[in-house]
Amino acid sequence: MNEFYYIIPFIILAAGILISLVIEMYFTSSEKILPWFSILTFLASGFSALFLVNNVKVVFENMLMSGGNVNFFIFIFNLGAALVTLLSIDYIKKYHTYYGEYYILLMSSVLGMSLMAGAKDLIVIFMGLEIMSVCFYALAGINRNKLKANEASLKYFLLGSFATGFLVYGMALVYGSMQNTSLEYLFLNFTKFNTNILFLAGLLFILFGLSFKIAAFPFHMWVPDVYQGSATTVSALMSTGGKAAAFSAIIVSFASVLTVVNTNVFAPYFGAIAVFSMLFGSIVAIAQTDIKRMMAYSSIAHAGYMTIGLASGNSYGVSGIIFYLAAYTFMNIGAFGIISIVEGKNDTNLTIKSYAGLANKKPILAGLLAIIMFSLAGLPPFAGFFGKYYIFIAAVKAKLTWLAIVGVISSAISVYFYIRIIVLMYFKESEEDFVIENSNTGLLSVIIAVLFVILLGIAPNSVINLISYFAK
Amino acid sequence: MIEQYIPVFIVIIVAVIFAVATVVMSKLMGPQRPNSEKESTYESGLKPIGTTNERVSIKYYLVAMLFIVFDLEVIFVYPWAVQFKKLYSQIGISIFFSMLVFLVVLELGFLYVYKKGGFKWD
Amino acid sequence: MNLYNIIFYLFAAITLVSAFFVVTTRNVIYSAFNLLLTFFGVAGIYVLLGADFLAVVQIIVYVGGILILLLFGVMLTNKIVNVQIRTGATQILPATIAVGAFSGILISLLVNTEWKKVGTALPGASTTANLGMLMMNEYILIFELLGILLLVALIGAATIARK
Repeated sequence: MNEFYYIIPFIILAAGILISLVIEMYFTSSEKILPWFSILTFLASGFSALFLVNNVKVVFENMLMSGGNVNFFIFIFNLGAALVTLLSIDYIKKYHTYYGEYYILLMSSVLGMSLMAGAKDLIVIFMGLEIMSVCFYALAGINRNKLKANEASLKYFLLGSFATGFLVYGMALVYGSMQNTSLEYLFLNFTKFNTNILFLAGLLFILFGLSFKIAAFPFHMWVPDVYQGSATTVSALMSTGGKAAAFSAIIVSFASVLTVVNTNVFAPYFGAIAVFSMLFGSIVAIAQTDIKRMMAYSSIAHAGYMTIGLASGNSYGVSGIIFYLAAYTFMNIGAFGIISIVEGKNDTNLTIKSYAGLANKKPILAGLLAIIMFSLAGLPPFAGFFGKYYIFIAAVKAKLTWLAIVGVISSAISVYFYIRIIVLMYFKESEEDFVIENSNTGLLSVIIAVLFVILLGIAPNSVINLISYFAK
Repeated sequence: MIEQYIPVFIVIIVAVIFAVATVVMSKLMGPQRPNSEKESTYESGLKPIGTTNERVSIKYYLVAMLFIVFDLEVIFVYPWAVQFKKLYSQIGISIFFSMLVFLVVLELGFLYVYKKGGFKWD
Repeated sequence: MNLYNIIFYLFAAITLVSAFFVVTTRNVIYSAFNLLLTFFGVAGIYVLLGADFLAVVQIIVYVGGILILLLFGVMLTNKIVNVQIRTGATQILPATIAVGAFSGILISLLVNTEWKKVGTALPGASTTANLGMLMMNEYILIFELLGILLLVALIGAATIARK
């Protein structure tokens, strides 16, 4: 029974899902209750994870890990989801599409992400990935009257199932070669199977499946369409939580590659993915006119930066990725939050031109968006800068200086399209006249996200020390 | 032991033979004198309107989907039920509750769909 | 060529031939019915591998459930006969590279792996009991999570299909 103590964050989430089902069934005013109830659940789960951070233990017959960086991930997922829920309240009112399932699916997806972060067995990774993905497929198409949302849902579902197929095939090959699904066993015996081609191919296929979820280059096709078609708040969660969960799964399943010296046989693969994602994302984003598509390509580029950490294959890389993911979560939720506030009914005001003259109309929103864009571009003193800094340091320490240089070049390219938004907001007059509806909860959520962006930028060392203390 | 499956094979073979024989034999042995009245869809009834490829309501999809989930749920009860006595003597009553949790989670889902009108037919 | 081999090749042939027709036939209904044979052939191979419970699950869930859903799906659409399924080939060059690389990996795997030879004798006892033991001891967490996964799938499907 003692084991249940370590998985309290998971239990809180699961109980939250079931209770919110009952609320949605029996209360007619569930639209008012459910968002606040789910925020409460997220906060309870997130802070209980933070409270248990020192109790590192593997529970349930080597299935699930609790404590340490796992709980740090769970905290980030829950906080991100709470912010997204806060954004959704007014966004859903704007579209007149209240479905109670929205919040339930949001909670379930966070449960899936947390499982991926805590997985100690290949099957748990698969279960977590499926729980998360099924929620995302449904969430992408939750606004059924919108044709683009249906398209996004179907596209994501088809390509996502294909990627899951790769993942499961890879797991089958790994299981076939080592007769075990435990990641601990994989970690300890990696050098023994290092020359087994079946084993390596299995790991490669697992990596293909997860690369799809992190939206890295050759598996990025779905990203722009899905982010554009889905509700903006859902895109916010998909681009942050989904990506972070997949990265956490890569980190746990490739721990032997990332922490043991001279075993990183996947470095060329990671390096190639990183280079192509960064350059492709940054260059194509310049040509975009729709802001959600631009954010989608920026998301591909950021996946590339984080993959540098995997390519460098040392503990600096791992802690760098975790820091970057935390920073990216808050930056992107802030950015998508502002997009969801500016967005009008029926997909209007989504072009980049809509942001012209925003500084006159809504000075607070413009200021917040400017901070986020500076941070996304990687300019000091914000969180995005230190994320990139730690990643590049890790690359240099692993003697992959060329990768760091490509990263810096790509960041320089990306400055153009991030700063363009700021120039539009402050130095251009608005061409179209539209009213931006006030959203107090949305604004609150964006402000909290920006506060975290600034906090991670001011005190990056304390956070990175905490992460590397657990990364070992 | 492959011999265990011999009855299954026999059933399959009998089923195939029966199905093929029924179709073929009635074609071969029955008298066939077709005329235009006999060939029409209803020999004595209303003339059919439109094609037979009518679109079926989306509700069937939901019912079929719910059926599959129920199917999967039942599948997981079998191994538990087969081993229940042994598990009960080893672990105790908690083995009952682990299945109960699984079932309650799923039945809550069905109850939810019911309350939301998923089974309403108009 | 013993009895085991004959049965294996029979089921393999059923699976492959019907899978070929699933892809090539122009009538979607015929595709669906050929898929029935494919599932059936796979179930037969499961039996030969000694996974009797899995074979029964394959029949109950795939043939009895998923295929029915598929047929409903076909009937939900407007046209059934002579649907142009091929949508034309785009992006031929990247597709060729990707498929070529993937088949290359698979073929090199097939050739270079030292395959373990397991005895051809089938396990005597039914696997259902062992599955029950594993499910309730080692994999109890997975089992409960499966409940959540099915719940989520149920809610998601109900959301998408609702009026």
